[in-house]
Amino acid sequence: MYHHSEFDRAFVIDRAERFRDQVNRRISGALTEEEFRPLRLMNGVYLQLHAYMLRIAIPYGTISPDQMRRLAHIADRWDKGYGHFTTRQNIQFNWPKLVDIPDMLDSLAEVGMHAIQTSGNTIRNVTADHFSGAAADEIADPRPYAELIRQWSTDHPEFQFLPRKFKIAVSGSPNDRAVVKSHDIGLRMVRRDDQIGFEVSVGGGLGRTPLVGKVVNEFVPTTDLLPYLEAILSAYNTVGRRDNKYKARLKIAVQELGIDHIRELVEARFAETRPMFDGSDQAVLAEIAKQFAQPELVEGRSTAAYDAARDADPVFRSWADTNLHDHKNPDYAIVTVSTKKHGATPGDATSDQMRLLADIAEEYGQGDLRISHEQNVVMPHIHRADLPAIHAKLREAGLGTANIGLVSDIIACPGLDYCALATARSIPIAQQIATRFDELKLEHEIGELKIKISGCINACGHHHVGHIGILGLDRAGVENYQVTLGGDGTETMSVGERAGPGFSKDEIIPAIERLVQGYLAIREDEDETFLQAYRRLGPAPFKAALYPAEEKAA
Amino acid sequence: MAQLQTIPTRPARVAALNRRYRHRAAIQVLREALSDPELGRVAMVSSFGADSVALLHMISLIDRTTPVLFIDTQMLFPETLTYQAEVAAKLGLTDVRTIRATPAAIAAADPDGDLNQTNPDACCDLRKTVPLNRALSSFDSWITGRKRFQGATRSEMEFFEEDPAGDRIKINPLAHWTARDVADYIANNRLPRHPLVSKGYPSIGCMPCTSPVKEGEDPRAGRWRGQDKTECGIHFVNGKMQRIPPAAPAPFVPADGQPVIVRDSGFGPEDWTGPILDLASDADLDDPDLRVGDATMIRIAFPSFTDGRGFTLARRLRVAGYKGRLRATGYVIADQLPMARRSGFDEVEIDADLARRQPWPHWRDAADAAPSYLKKLGRRAS
Repeated sequence: MYHHSEFDRAFVIDRAERFRDQVNRRISGALTEEEFRPLRLMNGVYLQLHAYMLRIAIPYGTISPDQMRRLAHIADRWDKGYGHFTTRQNIQFNWPKLVDIPDMLDSLAEVGMHAIQTSGNTIRNVTADHFSGAAADEIADPRPYAELIRQWSTDHPEFQFLPRKFKIAVSGSPNDRAVVKSHDIGLRMVRRDDQIGFEVSVGGGLGRTPLVGKVVNEFVPTTDLLPYLEAILSAYNTVGRRDNKYKARLKIAVQELGIDHIRELVEARFAETRPMFDGSDQAVLAEIAKQFAQPELVEGRSTAAYDAARDADPVFRSWADTNLHDHKNPDYAIVTVSTKKHGATPGDATSDQMRLLADIAEEYGQGDLRISHEQNVVMPHIHRADLPAIHAKLREAGLGTANIGLVSDIIACPGLDYCALATARSIPIAQQIATRFDELKLEHEIGELKIKISGCINACGHHHVGHIGILGLDRAGVENYQVTLGGDGTETMSVGERAGPGFSKDEIIPAIERLVQGYLAIREDEDETFLQAYRRLGPAPFKAALYPAEEKAA
Repeated sequence: MAQLQTIPTRPARVAALNRRYRHRAAIQVLREALSDPELGRVAMVSSFGADSVALLHMISLIDRTTPVLFIDTQMLFPETLTYQAEVAAKLGLTDVRTIRATPAAIAAADPDGDLNQTNPDACCDLRKTVPLNRALSSFDSWITGRKRFQGATRSEMEFFEEDPAGDRIKINPLAHWTARDVADYIANNRLPRHPLVSKGYPSIGCMPCTSPVKEGEDPRAGRWRGQDKTECGIHFVNGKMQRIPPAAPAPFVPADGQPVIVRDSGFGPEDWTGPILDLASDADLDDPDLRVGDATMIRIAFPSFTDGRGFTLARRLRVAGYKGRLRATGYVIADQLPMARRSGFDEVEIDADLARRQPWPHWRDAADAAPSYLKKLGRRAS
């Protein structure tokens, strides 16, 4: 993985010092609250409902055991002993004191971590496929490109005060695990005549106006990546609306001006930006790529222990069926550790769990840990023979839940329990759904089903791309939950459609149960997933299950 | 502006001060200096070295809240750090400020801590001169413990000197003291001595560049022994040492309603008299009617500091070959100065209210260049 260079270290230390100075100037009054706000945001500091929140970047989702242990230390020293992994490969601490934050940043800087541009109207933390470098289906590891983009976007003098936040995601594989088309810029690696490049889409986004990104260029060679990105940002900084916060994202400009107009503009700007780059970025890229070399995998070690455990232990088998993905090397597996034990807060990890994950990754997993946008922790290089031992350790720590991709593997935003923008609670709904389906013992029978919950229209819980999406709103002071159906966050991305009137907080769990039972009754066979059935049959039978006839009559 | 012109020039003020205080004792110089309006805000700078305790003791008798700046080069003897804490506590000094180089500066210039061996001047610059000048920027005068007897370089030193490193006056209350005077004062007042004095160090600096002095040698002979270096760059006499960064300009105090021009060198008044091409933040540079090429000064409006369009306008103008003066005007905050400069602006124009709330040191500190990723990636700004 990428190790922070002397340069990176000097940069984050300098940045932490600047922020300490900014806090002091806020306290002295030299900076008004309004002026301080974007400065704290571009350093990852939010003001939430009850307290400040610090959002720390885990660039392209890759984190080392030492960094994970440092997060555990920070949780214990300055927060309440846990952290929350987000849907954009960050970790949030929800209870720091403002005066402690500079010390937290210093502590992060020591292990090459930071909170730079995890918030604010800046180019945010670049995200990438969490299986990068391990997945069997990948063209090339996208992380060197993500790291190059991180360096380019960090403290870019032109783009610190954009019209609105700006998100970039990179996928190195035809199976998009980074939801690239829901980003302002989505980069999907493609190969053309033995040359690697990117299909670039722009204007994707969720939020109150969910839109699927449109392809602005089918093939940008990797050598042109940075000037091309700079051209898009330059165009956006010119045409992005500044009169209305809700119309300020690139997606609205693409929608209002049309993709052809945007393409023309970007091409014209590219003519300006291309000559500004002298090619040194390619040398930097080559240096970065060296650091993402494949780990040395063991050849010829028997996987019999794995097969034996599968046969002997149904709990292990169930976990292996849901939580493992194919590795390039068949003797290995990619392990996804669920942070979504039934009834727990999705994405939360305690400091003890973080330390355990660090230890396991160090002992068995090449010291490689990933955070997925689905808020789980991935160990990408695990020899199958080690899986029984790892599973036992995880179970003991409450991390052995076998539910990846299943109904209880829910994405939920922090919601009204933490967030100042939220209109309804999300976490308790997620907990109740998970608990209910655990009671019914139906989870594995249902199979792949993605439920995503947002506590307000800003859609941090990605409800638009949930097979079942739940959006919590405030209806005259009462929480009300709308259901959307048929969303998809993969390479076949689609935005879910609203099913009908919302449900109260007491009605929503039974409604979801009816919906899922309805699906089980109408699916062709157990291989047809919820989404496939929805696409085959359309919304009618699903709506019928959600809104039974007798209620309509009443 | 107007009020500044009525104040006599610095050399004249220094000469007058020396005449006025000519026959005073050290403690009198010190007592009056601390409240003399001509000297403004005064800080003491102390190394907590071999002789420092005498002057520190005097300060503690007059006003123990006087700011005392202690430069920790992070290369000091451990004994100095212990002694510093001991003396500050014993004398009850309430405002000792430890001054250090920024970690970023050290990481950039001396990551392995061996600069003192390859370039001692640069090391002094990095660890002493630059941090001290920065710390002194909020003071008008500073007190040093230097004495004429300390070396040939200091033999003509007066109570008051111009500080060539900035618009400040240096006060040397012990200028006329001898080694004997110092020893007597310390003994009479039962003050603790630096533990290294008894080990043969009459002058104590950083560990790598200080060695003991033999009987009969210049007391400062142990500093930078074997090199032609005799002063660290904080102090210099007769303009012989030229390593100090250029002097900061006189602070410019705007009148109400008067615009302030912020440049790398500091605040200043409007000095442009030619025509100005004003561009709004939504100006269309591709508009053929816009005759940018004819302009000698382009001023781009920032209606709000959150409106970053001007940065892209500036960069595009520079890329298109505009070579004239380029100014950001309106609501730009101190933290945005580096963004403005790196996007191609020469300067920023703000109003007097903002200049008062965010004085020049805030802008200067913000502009202190952070390491630039774009530079590393070979991306030019124009």
